[in-house]
Amino acid sequence: MAEHKEEMRDITFRINRFNPQVDNKPYFDDYTIPVERGITVLRALNYIKEHVDATVSFRAFCQAGICGSCGMRINGMSKLACTTQVWDELDRCKVDNVIKIEPLRNMPLIKDLIVDMDPMVDKMKKYSNWVESIMPEEKMGEKEFLIAEEEFQEYDKATDCILCASCMSECSILRAHKEYVGPAVLLKSHRMNVDSRDGAHNMRIGELVKDHGVWDCTHCYRCQEACVKSIPIMDGIHGVREDALISRGVKDTSGAKHAEAFMEDLPKKGKLIEATLPIRTNGVGWTLKNLLPMAFKMILKRRTPPPPPLVKPAKGIKKFREEFNEMSDHVKRDRKEQKNKSGE
Amino acid sequence: MSSVIERSKKINQENSSMKRYAYYLSCINESMTKEVDKSIELWQNDLEIDFVKLHESTCCGGSNLDYVSPKHFALVNGRNIALAEKLGLDLVTSCNTCLLTIRSAKQKLDESEALRDEVNGILKKEGLEYKGTSEVRHLLWVLNEDVGLDTIANKVKVPLKNYKIAPFYGCHILRPSNILGKDDPLEPTSLDKLIEALGGKVVSFEHKNKCCGFHTLLVAEEESLNVAAEALGEAIDSSADFIVTPCPLCHTVLDSYQAKALKRANIKKSIPVFHLSEMIGLALGYTHRQLGIKRHIVT
Repeated sequence: MAEHKEEMRDITFRINRFNPQVDNKPYFDDYTIPVERGITVLRALNYIKEHVDATVSFRAFCQAGICGSCGMRINGMSKLACTTQVWDELDRCKVDNVIKIEPLRNMPLIKDLIVDMDPMVDKMKKYSNWVESIMPEEKMGEKEFLIAEEEFQEYDKATDCILCASCMSECSILRAHKEYVGPAVLLKSHRMNVDSRDGAHNMRIGELVKDHGVWDCTHCYRCQEACVKSIPIMDGIHGVREDALISRGVKDTSGAKHAEAFMEDLPKKGKLIEATLPIRTNGVGWTLKNLLPMAFKMILKRRTPPPPPLVKPAKGIKKFREEFNEMSDHVKRDRKEQKNKSGE
Repeated sequence: MSSVIERSKKINQENSSMKRYAYYLSCINESMTKEVDKSIELWQNDLEIDFVKLHESTCCGGSNLDYVSPKHFALVNGRNIALAEKLGLDLVTSCNTCLLTIRSAKQKLDESEALRDEVNGILKKEGLEYKGTSEVRHLLWVLNEDVGLDTIANKVKVPLKNYKIAPFYGCHILRPSNILGKDDPLEPTSLDKLIEALGGKVVSFEHKNKCCGFHTLLVAEEESLNVAAEALGEAIDSSADFIVTPCPLCHTVLDSYQAKALKRANIKKSIPVFHLSEMIGLALGYTHRQLGIKRHIVT
């Protein structure tokens, strides 16, 4: 039997350092340590803390991908240090054998790799992301809630979330505006909205459709790609939007009106009627103020979309329209059936 | 529908080395970014590609219809794919969001027999059926996989050797990777390789796989412009001569909204943004005027 030999290599961890009591701005320190194949980034960080520099600060607890404490950016991507193999990162190093370790983005930095999670927690509170029981207080404990498997499937994946905030760190819009609700909070909202034990649905949706809420998501899918639990976060975000359209209609927000425009235009021409999209989304005033200066340049370059009468319909539009309307009948039938079922 | 059937017969009768694809007409390329299809028409023969335009195809629903009405989303895109299947061809698009939207509908249809039956029950009136036999692909993928980078390099007449180029992939050709899955969303290479095949120099560009902000332009303009400005700022700092993108929606933000975005970020310089199809046209010897580059806002 061949002798078993572990592969060893000297690897440099380029770690973000920042102590607000001493430093004006963050900087990097390099720590080169011998690492054995099979070691996680968290074990390497623990080794550095124990043997090289006890001042290196990071959060960690379970070491098994369960608690969500050790979220950080490793070679530019937000993930858990405890489930990331050092060896898997070697191919992704910009400089050979140098792994860059940075704190999560989009949250205030406290020290080195530790960020302030309070903004995320505050948003969880703002959007009432807990089950507000429909059972009156005095009835509690008398009867249990029975959840059908079908309903549980709706939020099963979302309950895998360990609040590590990797998705919040990767979110394009949260980076552009810190008030934005953010993917983890939207996912949690959806999880609560579809729970039949919860009575806060309408209040929650009412809050979610306001500024910096669900309509500000730009569908970049960076949250979903980063999720350490492979949760289809965008399904949750789209779930909130679908819910908002059904329960609140399209009248109250520009996001809803914008989304509904696709449904409106398809049977007309089979094409999106882009020329009127800004007005339909935000009204005439907004469009004049925000887009008029640009429109002149666009007209000069012949880049403006054609006015509605000049939008060429798709070939065979009549047949398509019939099919589209037939599907509308199916949708109406489905909703009626669902209503009857829930009324039973 | 007779036209699709006629074209189907015609395609079967012809026998040449041309690679044929059903070409999906994206709303934005029909209205605001007409130069995309115009430039493809110029060079498709040079690369022995025949794009059969699907004039019957309709708007994909632009990453909104899927939650506004999941069933219409399946019908509309099941039909778009069925039109290509009738021709026995793969469906090719040059818009990232159309790519993701139609591929995601395809995934839903392939997974659910009940949904397929419901959609086909309606489509049969038009003589169409969604079978799941045609792939939905992006122009960039076809160039990399079918035409091949060596072939493209051999056809280059004007190498882009004097240009430093920042590749901007856009989100919906990379993410979610379980629906797209060609490039590594963290380290995409297909556009980089194409630039090199055309003789250009790829600059290091951290924002290559990030977002342009297009989908919230009308809903959260401030946020969208901040997102765009960050990418534009890095491209300008990288001293690239231009940005190239395979997506007309990214192009719209990065070009048409550039002045507005950079003003917010207090950046005084500007940078031209080319479509993938225009960059290929330049290397194959076509002029700015022929390719429609003069229609851009930033020139």
